[in-house]
Amino acid sequence: MTVSSCMKRNVISVHPKTTIREAASIFVKKHIGLLPVVDDDDKPIGVIGMRDMLTLELPDFVSFLTDVDFVHDFGAVEDVHPSAKSLNKTVQTLMKPAVTVDEDCGLLRAYSLLVQHNQHDLPVVSKEGKLVGITSRVDIGTAILSTWLKADK
Amino acid sequence: MTIIPAVISTVIFFGSLILIFSEKIHRTITAIAGAALMVVLGRILGFYSEEAALEAIDFNTLGLLLGMMILVAMLEPTGFFQYLAVLAARSSKGNPKRLFILLGIITTILSMFLDNVTTVVLIAPVTILICEIVGISALPFLVSEALLSNTGGVATLVGDPPNVLIGSAAGFSFNDFLIYSMPIVLVAWAGALLLLQYLFRKELSKQPRSVKAIMSLNPAETLNEPLIARRILIVLGGAILFFFIHHALHISPSLVALSAAAIALVWVQPDLQEVLKRIEWGVLIFFGALFVMVGGLEHAGVMNSIIKLLEQASDVPPILFGVGVIWIVAVLSAVVDNVPITIALIPVIKGLGESGMDITPLWWALAFGAGFGGSGTMIGSTANIIVTTLSEKTRTPITAKLWNKRGLPVMLLTCAIASVLYVVMFQWM
Repeated sequence: MTVSSCMKRNVISVHPKTTIREAASIFVKKHIGLLPVVDDDDKPIGVIGMRDMLTLELPDFVSFLTDVDFVHDFGAVEDVHPSAKSLNKTVQTLMKPAVTVDEDCGLLRAYSLLVQHNQHDLPVVSKEGKLVGITSRVDIGTAILSTWLKADK
Repeated sequence: MTIIPAVISTVIFFGSLILIFSEKIHRTITAIAGAALMVVLGRILGFYSEEAALEAIDFNTLGLLLGMMILVAMLEPTGFFQYLAVLAARSSKGNPKRLFILLGIITTILSMFLDNVTTVVLIAPVTILICEIVGISALPFLVSEALLSNTGGVATLVGDPPNVLIGSAAGFSFNDFLIYSMPIVLVAWAGALLLLQYLFRKELSKQPRSVKAIMSLNPAETLNEPLIARRILIVLGGAILFFFIHHALHISPSLVALSAAAIALVWVQPDLQEVLKRIEWGVLIFFGALFVMVGGLEHAGVMNSIIKLLEQASDVPPILFGVGVIWIVAVLSAVVDNVPITIALIPVIKGLGESGMDITPLWWALAFGAGFGGSGTMIGSTANIIVTTLSEKTRTPITAKLWNKRGLPVMLLTCAIASVLYVVMFQWM
């Protein structure tokens, strides 16, 4: 089985010049976890994930301490929000290199890439490199699990 | 002295210093390359040998540093440093001024017994945590922690690397530092703290936004391994006790530190790979390579010519000479790492001693200059570099401009205090 059998075809993507504020509104409206960033030819040049967006909100200390279990009340940082200036930056400043697969990529390879890159969603591209779909851990996982059920019969 | 070896060894050493200063290549890589080049060219030209290079390495210094590094590497994951910072935060009740003083004192006491770099690496992240949840800027705290640990470290033999080097070269005991260095450092430290409080008065008068969050921190929860922490602290305390009497027992500080490390390792039996990962091998190799390079300079006769040059200036009154050393070394240490400066000056001072000068006060001048000078610029000491790098990942990064306004005055004040007290104490040194 290939990823094309378990991907969504109506992918929502953004242009690199989109602002972070606009991207946030897409995340909220569409309730998604990953936004591929594509150029004028629809080719992915990066991705911006929910986690990347939330680095703007996360307190600095979380990245420095190995364990924050003992911090029960985040106090003043709870109501610190990203500045207007950082929301007006483009998604290009926050995006990560895109990990993509071809339509005919096998399920296991696709899943392995997700595990290795610690991602939840995986954009799928055509032979020409254009964005044609997106698949997720859940999409791939359920497709794999369903083969177990068939094998049991 | 033949001229070619002298020129070549000088070019290698100063070329390495410039590369270290430019920060284009990691300082340890520069030092290894410089050391290798020195030995290879030394052998070709006949002024340096492999045996001489090995002899140039001061294993007493490396052993003391390694021993202390092992102890800290074991203490770090227990959460003891978070425990201290959280304790300070709670007793400050979120008051920025009180927090500033308490964290300053903790950082200083730690830096007197542990390496400054380690102290700052461990205390800075918790500081950022505390400041963020109280709702105040962490920047004054980070800058002050680096500056106060630079200053406080000068007080003891094990407090900062130049002291370890000087203690080993001059044969000063742990107690010598407590008698001759500590009093001067305490005054300079108090001056630095007051000055920093004044310089940061605007930031420190801000009202904390969330005191409740600070009071909800429970120090006991920050200790991941209370039992291991207790064992290592007992061993560390024992080591400090032995530092007080090492001279009387005729054992070197490095033997004390390495024995303490061995006892702690046997008693706790930690995951050795984890401990080894936390040791700053880069620093140890940097030291070793610098010893080899400076050994090359010595063997090429460069140090002798410098000593002869300085002897001609021997009609300068010794007090003035010492004060001059404080300021020259301080300025040098502000622009380049103070470790190469100290390693390079040790043979010079030793040489002056052999020519009949009373060099005991000069060793202290070197310690004050190297220790306090590092505060002057953002790259003056490793502690400064560490808080700056950390702050670059926060919303309020430390800039070179800010350092000139906060760090430079601290360097000038501490050097001035040290100079005055040096003159006062000179006859007893």
